[in-house]
Amino acid sequence: MNLRLDNLLKQVEKPARYIGGEYNIAIKEPESVKTRFVFAFPDLYEIGMSYMGLQILYHNLNKEEDIYCERAFAPAGDMEKLLRENHIPLYTLETKTPIKDVDFFGFTLQYEMSFTTILNMLELAQIPLLAKDRGEEYPIIIAGGPCAYNPEPLADFVDIFLIGDGEKSLPELMKKYGEAKERGLTKEEFYKEIAGETGIYIPAFYDVFYNEDGTIKAYEKNFEGAPDKVERCIIEDIEEIDFPTSPIVPIIETVHDRAVMETFRGCTRGCRFCQAGMIYRPVRERSKEKIMNLAMEQLANTGHEELSLLSLSTSDYSQFEPLAIELMQECKKRHVSLSLPSLRLDTFSFNVLEEIQGYKKSGLTFAPEAGTQRLRDVINKGITEKDIYDAVEQAIELGWKHIKLYFMIGLPTETYEDLDGIAEIARNIVSIHRNSGKGGRFNVTVSVSNFVPKAHTPFQWEAQDRTEEFTKKHDYLREKLSIKSVTFNYHDDAVSTYEAVFARGDRKLGKLLLEAHKQGCKLDSWSEYFDLEKWQKAIELSGTDIAFYTTRQRGFDEILPWDIVDSSVSKKFLMSEAKKAVEEKTTHDCRYGCVGCGINRRVECKLGGIYE
Amino acid sequence: MSKYIIKFAKEGYMKYTSHLDMLRLFQRAFKRCNIGLAHSQGFNPHPKMGFAQPLSLGYTAADEILEFETVEDFLPADIKESVGKIMPQGLIIKTCSRLTDNVKSLAAIVDEAEYTVTFPIDADLADYGKVVKDYLAQEHIVAYKRQKKTKKMVEVDIRSKIRDIQLVDGAKLTLRLILDCGSTSNQSPEQVITTFIDFAKLDVVRYDVEVERTRISFDRKLHI
Repeated sequence: MNLRLDNLLKQVEKPARYIGGEYNIAIKEPESVKTRFVFAFPDLYEIGMSYMGLQILYHNLNKEEDIYCERAFAPAGDMEKLLRENHIPLYTLETKTPIKDVDFFGFTLQYEMSFTTILNMLELAQIPLLAKDRGEEYPIIIAGGPCAYNPEPLADFVDIFLIGDGEKSLPELMKKYGEAKERGLTKEEFYKEIAGETGIYIPAFYDVFYNEDGTIKAYEKNFEGAPDKVERCIIEDIEEIDFPTSPIVPIIETVHDRAVMETFRGCTRGCRFCQAGMIYRPVRERSKEKIMNLAMEQLANTGHEELSLLSLSTSDYSQFEPLAIELMQECKKRHVSLSLPSLRLDTFSFNVLEEIQGYKKSGLTFAPEAGTQRLRDVINKGITEKDIYDAVEQAIELGWKHIKLYFMIGLPTETYEDLDGIAEIARNIVSIHRNSGKGGRFNVTVSVSNFVPKAHTPFQWEAQDRTEEFTKKHDYLREKLSIKSVTFNYHDDAVSTYEAVFARGDRKLGKLLLEAHKQGCKLDSWSEYFDLEKWQKAIELSGTDIAFYTTRQRGFDEILPWDIVDSSVSKKFLMSEAKKAVEEKTTHDCRYGCVGCGINRRVECKLGGIYE
Repeated sequence: MSKYIIKFAKEGYMKYTSHLDMLRLFQRAFKRCNIGLAHSQGFNPHPKMGFAQPLSLGYTAADEILEFETVEDFLPADIKESVGKIMPQGLIIKTCSRLTDNVKSLAAIVDEAEYTVTFPIDADLADYGKVVKDYLAQEHIVAYKRQKKTKKMVEVDIRSKIRDIQLVDGAKLTLRLILDCGSTSNQSPEQVITTFIDFAKLDVVRYDVEVERTRISFDRKLHI
């Protein structure tokens, strides 16, 4: 045991975050592999270990004999202070190796507000932040995940972005690196060799030119082998790829402390605000047999007491009913509780919930997202008030006491009438309960988040509300929602503004990130860490005009920073959806017929995702 | 229903695993080994399994005790073998045996515990044998303890709960503490360590001191 580390661990909260040694970790002789990779989740251990993508990539990398994948997370404030005071570089959990001594330091980009934490982790690892300052002796910094679909705000810091499904492409890239290292290639020679591969984006190979108004004039390649557009990696058949059946079992309690089984990838609903619904197309399912086998194997290998399904919309799985029935039976046998998130609330689902929750009913959740049918049509959220009220009636009849509603405010074309609609729905649900004659305690929670336009969605050109506008709308809603039995929650306004800056940011934001890091910004998705004053100072010192990124409506002809990434959904489709939104016209779920998003030019789309 | 006890050691980084995390760790281990634990009755059944005495975060231990009840009968040797195989590094299953004594729970009859405390100080720096004797010769030893409910620091006299302290041979100053333990009267080593540091005027900080629990004893003779 490292004595200096041991001494530090005695002084911090939850020291088990920093010790590794969990069940099912990969144990290898570091000298015996060709490539060493560190998978970093730029947030605390409890958050990072709840992310299934980590387990999937960890497994797919470590099953290769020549690759060793270890893990690193952001330390909490107390541990960070001690690491800095004692000059201990950030280390891997598996072998306690300083990260600066490995080949690759890889970050998963799950949300924009983790970007400053990436810089902080690089600094704690004693690695220069800027790509151009890192010599051959430092690890290659690589990043992937949903936020890599607009990689530009991180272009100054990251050497390679890997866009799209990583299960095959990442291990392949690591193998190529191992060979390149044996051949004695420099980093740049290696980058040139891989630049043309699907999914690989190397920002250093592009120079960006701007117009006087700050918009982009052109991307020019400075290396001929780099692609004009980076196509994302797509695994056409997820049935074939390895899903971990022996995931790491954390020792301390994490946010999602359970076995997780991915049923399918992608979504056919086409909500216009949703990035996941666009960038994970087409819908790709695992067979029911495979799901059952993998899930049961995972339970046997972990001892987990809870199993949850992972997808963008649980009930959309083509064989959901037989799957749910079989899972219920098998879980019951094993004393394992089953959790089925985001169910569509029809009679079957109620029967399932009744069976798996019994008297321990958790809250029932609906996500109408908008308060009026008009606005729901704008965003293409195919849920009607009748759907909600019918389900609520049934739920109350079955004994549910808590209804949770999720809405977004600041959506394109929104007026105060739409906000009134939010209060109306909450009030109507309370009335349904009152009229049911059930009596007793009853609670409706209304959670409101602020709309953040995302890259690669039909709303990518839209203006976001100003921070003050969000605040005004929250105040308005708070008054409207001061109804007995209704609780109102909302997100921090300023955080949503900054999130929007980076969600559609360009390379110029590297300066802002660097300044924010210097001011001490980190772990910004935690309200106890997010410090508005520091951010405002960083904005000022970096000379950033945030309105340029947030409240500015973009034109269809503007070159967008993320145009360099091709999600394989056509820009033409996004534009047509954007136009239909303004006209309040809906687009049907593409399960019932192709709507022409363009994904099938690239890969076969099974529409409904029906497995045959 | 069959009752068993497992004796185990907790070493290295595992000392940073808390009491609740240890419970969950064993629960999952039994599940992986297909050893079905008996459950309590009622609305919220929980597995019949528990440690004889919780161990503070940061302490290593040589001889901890876990008691549990299974639905089916297993051979203790088989339990030791299968659970032992899947323990994380630092958790060592020493023995597994049947609990034949007729007691409701071991936790209720814990009486005494022994700890080995190592200070980062050369043992020959002073006559620590005499210091220990003088420390124990005090009529009252006043320590501060945070009250669980009010979170206020309160003064407590710990002398009567210290059964003995012995100097252990070694390069570094090492003490063996024998303290009250269990539900009747319980003394944590923490107050003993801090008051001893003050009394002996040792130039050390708490987080440089290593503590290991070496024994848990009961108020009666058991066949375990």
